[in-house]
Amino acid sequence: MPGMWWVVGVVVLAAIFSAYLGWTAQRVERLHLRAQAAERALDAHLMRRAAAAAVVAEQGDSVELYAAARLALDAEPGDRESAENDLTRQLQGIELDPGDPAARTLIATSRRVVLARQVHTDLVRDALSARRRVLVRVLGLNRRHQRPEYFDIVEPTLPDLPPVVVPAPAHPAEGVLPTAPV
Amino acid sequence: MRIGIVSPYSFDVPGGVQNHIMDLAEALIDLGHEVSVLAPADDDAELPDYVVPAGRAVPLPYNGSVARITFGPLSTARVRRWLARGKFDVLHVHEPISPSLSFLAVLSARGPVVATFHTAMTRSRFLSAAQPFVQPVVEKITARIAVSELARKVHVEHLGGGAVEIPNGVAVAKFASAAPLPGWPGEGGALGFLGRFTEPRKGFPLLRTAYVTLARQRPGLRLLVAGPGDRDELFEEIPPELHDRVEFLGLVSEADKARMLRSVDVYVAPNTGGESFGMILTEAMAAGAAIAASDLDAFRRVLDGGRAGALFPNGDAVALTTLLGELLDDSPRRAELASCARTVVATFDWPSVANRVLEVYATAIEATDGRVFDDEWVDHGKGT
Repeated sequence: MPGMWWVVGVVVLAAIFSAYLGWTAQRVERLHLRAQAAERALDAHLMRRAAAAAVVAEQGDSVELYAAARLALDAEPGDRESAENDLTRQLQGIELDPGDPAARTLIATSRRVVLARQVHTDLVRDALSARRRVLVRVLGLNRRHQRPEYFDIVEPTLPDLPPVVVPAPAHPAEGVLPTAPV
Repeated sequence: MRIGIVSPYSFDVPGGVQNHIMDLAEALIDLGHEVSVLAPADDDAELPDYVVPAGRAVPLPYNGSVARITFGPLSTARVRRWLARGKFDVLHVHEPISPSLSFLAVLSARGPVVATFHTAMTRSRFLSAAQPFVQPVVEKITARIAVSELARKVHVEHLGGGAVEIPNGVAVAKFASAAPLPGWPGEGGALGFLGRFTEPRKGFPLLRTAYVTLARQRPGLRLLVAGPGDRDELFEEIPPELHDRVEFLGLVSEADKARMLRSVDVYVAPNTGGESFGMILTEAMAAGAAIAASDLDAFRRVLDGGRAGALFPNGDAVALTTLLGELLDDSPRRAELASCARTVVATFDWPSVANRVLEVYATAIEATDGRVFDDEWVDHGKGT
């Protein structure tokens, strides 16, 4: 009976399509949740950097740096990006003492800001490109989630301090061969 | 932290990616983390105890070369089982955009995924054909690492999205403590070269020209060459009276490579192009050799603009000859270059590279569930 096969075909297609819809909805939700999580993480690391900068500023009696750190900590969402940029500029202009633990913390937190921002940007891009898909827009899946925003700041990289060097042995022990991993 | 690492290539064959994975895993274990590495290998293969075999690797022509990889339903089941048992805090895959275990692991992963891109492949048929299928996989990757500037660029162009550049590590202690080969470097001075001498981009002919000129003026000067290639082909181009002053080691193991680098006064890297990072330079630096290298961008970066190794104009055999002559005569300068190199290479030492990788892990975990860690467990700059 050709009629029945037709029905079966439609049912199978409908099943595949609804599975695809479910998978898409899940994917869109996952991408949005991740972008939000990345935003919270980036926020936390920016706070830490500002706090670390404030400590360095207090030690070095640097009024300008302290003010920039304070402004970054207190900035309203709309002013956040420019406040963070100001702080980055201040930080890139100062000389840090490699022996100072506060300076090392500051470098470490800055590195984490760079990473968090990189990941945040990638995840926001993924979420936005998912929102642009025709199917997602037709079904209104994009309206169920808040639109993620890029956090547009200059790359907050600080130059690495020279690492703490462990002096290598000047003369190797004779006859002691290193073991190769392979 | 519980870390699951996936290798796309079998450990039966040595290779850059495999070495990278083993060194990273060992560095992470030394830092107190639990690491499990899933790799294609026979069940009865001899492997380090942190490696879990995922079945026999099948040779498959891929992107112009033959890759020994594992792919298919059976491998998928093994990957899933390994992931379920491992309960990893973070999954770290290498080269995920190829038909490999890494690809399967990303497909099955639920938590944070970090991916490292090694090769600077410029075109991939698999990638072009599978673009719609690759996108959901790429989306599952939380954070990306590129081992070189070139790998990063290619990655950005192909897949969109950025990547953090973390260079290959070098096991500084292994190189610094290796014993020189018996009788080397000797009184008359010794030059070293490691690499495929037949490949034009490695620039061996430049060194050969320079060596032949210098060896005629300096009766004791010797040349140590290691790398794949045919012995006769190497000696064919060298004047017969110099044959007994040139030593050819052939393809060397990691341990012999360290000894070879410790056996020379000046390590020469005359490469004319195609280098994206200059791994061998970091190894020569770790071994404490003075370095003479062509002024490629990659080399200039690794050598800290020429402070950690002397640079000569790319492709200029005369300049190389002059430079080598100066270096051989000036032992304080060599010592100064070597000591500066030792400081620079500390940034490439595995413990410090592993710490930077841990920071990426932490970032990926945070971006997956919003948890933010305290800094204590990724302690920086202790230099141990």
